[in-house]
Formats: sequence, C-alpha cells, structure tokens
Amino acid sequence: MIMDRLFVVKGQLQQIYAAYSKYIDKAVQFVLALGAFYLINHNLGFMGMLSSPAVTLALAVICTFLPVIATVWASALLILGHIYTISLGMLAVTAVIFLLMFIFYLKFSPKTAVFILLMPLAFLLKIPYTVPVALGLTGNPLSVVPVICGTIIYYMIGYVKNSAAALKSADEEGMIGQVTMFVKQIFQNKEMWIMIIAFVLCLLVVYTVRKMSVDHAWKIAIAAGAAVNIVVVAIGDVLFDVPVSYLGIIGGNIAAILLGMVLELLFFAVDYSRGEKLQFEDDEYYYYVKAIPKISVAPPEKTVKRINKREEHQETEIIDEGKMRNKSGNPRNRKPAQKRRTPQKNERHAQGNKKKSAEQMLMTRSLRKELNLDRQKD
Amino acid sequence: MLDEKKIKLMTRMASYEANQGKEDLAVSAYYRKDYTSLHTLFSFFWGTLGYVCLIGLLVLGSFDFLMEHLTMGMFFTLGTIAVLGYFVIIVIYVVAANRFYNKKHIEARKRIKKFNYNITRLLKIYEKENR
Repeated sequence: MIMDRLFVVKGQLQQIYAAYSKYIDKAVQFVLALGAFYLINHNLGFMGMLSSPAVTLALAVICTFLPVIATVWASALLILGHIYTISLGMLAVTAVIFLLMFIFYLKFSPKTAVFILLMPLAFLLKIPYTVPVALGLTGNPLSVVPVICGTIIYYMIGYVKNSAAALKSADEEGMIGQVTMFVKQIFQNKEMWIMIIAFVLCLLVVYTVRKMSVDHAWKIAIAAGAAVNIVVVAIGDVLFDVPVSYLGIIGGNIAAILLGMVLELLFFAVDYSRGEKLQFEDDEYYYYVKAIPKISVAPPEKTVKRINKREEHQETEIIDEGKMRNKSGNPRNRKPAQKRRTPQKNERHAQGNKKKSAEQMLMTRSLRKELNLDRQKD
Repeated sequence: MLDEKKIKLMTRMASYEANQGKEDLAVSAYYRKDYTSLHTLFSFFWGTLGYVCLIGLLVLGSFDFLMEHLTMGMFFTLGTIAVLGYFVIIVIYVVAANRFYNKKHIEARKRIKKFNYNITRLLKIYEKENR
C-alpha cells in the first residue's frame, strides 16, 4: 500500500514537473548558485565587497538566467577573488589547479561541470557520501573526475579558511615558501586522499553492481556503496590516524542510502516478482533474456460531478443501459447494447395509434348514419 | 486553422536550434577531418600546458625535499621520468581528444541531418497548404 502511494506521488510529481519544468529548473539552478556562493563567501570571506549578502544574492540571480556552467565559472572567480586578498602566490596555485581541472575534465564534459559544485555543497550539508552514491546510480565511471575535483576544492577552501593568518605571515618570509606550504598542505592532506579513495571506490562499486542483472541490483549497489564508504574511511582512520567522526560517517551514509532509494523510485521502478527469464535462438546465437516489467501507476484523475436542480416538465430520459456500462469503463460489465425503442420510434407508434382511432371514429359515424341510429334516439 | 503536425515539428526544430543546434551548426561548418585535426592540435597544446602545470605543482609540493636531496644524478633521473611521463600523458590525451572530437562531429552531423530533414518536411507541408 505504501509503495502504491509512493508511485502515485511519483506520478503526480512527474505531472507537476512536466507542467512547470521551466520554473523548477530555474529554482534549482538558483538554489545551487546561492548555496555555492554562500559556501565560498562563508568560508573565504576575505574580500568584503564580494562576500556581502547582496552581492551573493545578485550573483545567484544572474547565474540563474545563464547556463549552469556560468555558476561554475562564477564560483571559481569568486574563490580566486578571495584568495587574491591573502596572497598572489596562492592565487597562482589555485588558478593552476582550476586550469588543470579545465584541461583534463571541463573541456570535454562542460555539461557535467555542475557535479564539481555539488561535492563541496554536500560537504557543507554534512552528507558528502550521497554524491558518489547518486552519481554511481545515475552516471558513469567518468563521474569520478568531478567527485575528485569537488573534494579537492572543498579541502582547499577548508585549508585556506583555517590557515589564512599563517599564510599571510608566511608572505613576509617569501612567496616561494608560502606557495610551497600551500601546495604541500593541500596535496599532503591524508584526510582528503582517504575521502577521495572512498568516494572513487564507492562510485565504481555502485556503478558496477547496479549494472548487474541480479534482482534488486540498485538496492544492493546502494548498500554496497555505503559499506565501501564506511570501511575505507575506517581503514584510513586506523592506518593513517585520520580523525573522523563515526557518527558523521554513519549519518552521512544513511542519508546516502535514503537518497539512493529515492533515486531508485524515480529512475528504476521495476517489479522483480513479475520478472521473466526467456531463452530463444536464431541461426547465430542463443539468447538468455531476463525481462523485468516496469512499475507504472497512473495518478488518479479528479472527476467533477455537477449536480443540477431538477427541472419541472422535464421529459423522461430513456437511458441506454449498454451505453452507461460502456461509460463506466469496466470491461467486465460490458454487455452488448440491447435494442430499445427510441423516442422517434415512440412518436411514430403514437401517430399510428391516433390514425387508427380516427379511422374507427369515422367508421362508427358512417354506420350510425346508414342505420339511422341517431334519429331513433331522438 | 492550426495544424498540429506543423506546430509540433516547428517547436521541435526551434527547441533544437535554440539549444544544441548552435553548437552543432558551428561544428558541422567544418569537414570531419578538419574539425578533428584542428581540435586535436589545440588539445596537444592544452595537454602540454596541463602537464607543465602538473609538474610545477609537484615540484612546489616537494620543493623542500628537492632542495635538500637534489643531486645531478637525481636531477637527470627525474628529468627523464618527467619527459617520458610527458610523452605517455600527451599521447593518451591527444588520442582521447581525437576520438572525442571525431565522435562529437559525427553526432552533430547526425542531428543536423535530422534537422534538415525536418525543414524539408515543413516545406512540403507549406507547399500542400499553398495548393
């Protein structure tokens, strides 16, 4: 019953999206842009002018009406703007990191650039494990690239936020020392690499399992992905002494499982109980086919009944039983419509009766005249 | 009287022209070989730039170590590894870019052909209307 209700809700959501997709897409784009700019300004608000709420909001509004890639570029420029206030050397390093991301990923897949933004946002919401699970379910193995880029950006922002003062003081020692320290801190961050390994393995496991032809492949894939996340991070904690919050890991992975279930409901609703295994052959091959029917529940249609006042002098309507059954839509109740007397036929019948009675009257009058019955009475 | 078939066709075409069509038209302005070669050449330069950036970051990351332990022998060994790495990465990058742009051109041409076919259909509908 609950599943039926969920499928009805899914159908209703699809209808709503079909009707208002233009506005919903823009709203999602606005929220994404606002979230990304908020994350950047909240953590790196070194340039006062850029980090004001009005600028954040204005930028988000502008990016809403531009292609999604504009949000990614605006985020990159915002980060560079804030880092510029700390040091020119760090700006150069950050720009080089962004350039590498552009050369090796964005150049070939600009449409999926938005996934790079999703990763830091998920970290901000304390649910980073949801992204590899979601991309493993809906994307392809190449999705590991935006996951890696997004994770690097998040840890880079975190590092700049925590050590801005130290980096500024290092500026006095020389730009080389500062840049070296920045690069070292970013790329020698054990926690970041453990998270990257966990996410990459999780995404690949989820993708591989959900492509398998086993029953409940998506559910198994989601569970396996969450398990990989927990195991890899726990191993990282034990082997490399990386401080991790187990409560956060478990909570984040529960969120990943829930999101995975929602995605399964939306994109892969099948009924395994009605699955069929078929085998056939042609001249060249034997075919072993597994067919699983999709579940589709149409949302109930609202019908409006109009109850009118009964009008007087209304002619009695003759109801065609067959037609009424056909209208009710239940094919079992359908019976062939029986022949019934229609109003036109009734009229003709009444006219015939009148004709007969008139003839009878004329006949009786003529007989009375002939037999002189009227005079006898007088 | 509105012609539903014509409206559907025109909507589909307008939607394509406004979104994917712009890029496809730019791509299909070239012959496939020219387009692929040109972008592969650009990719070679981009790949080289990317590799230089990557090596730069690696050098900066291990700057202290290199300053302490760098010898002439180590310098030549690292240099050889860097050059070999460059050839490996650039070959992979250029081959991947070549295949990517080749496929991109083929797909763009397919969509353009479909668009042209739709234009012909639309013209036929107009001809029918004028008769």
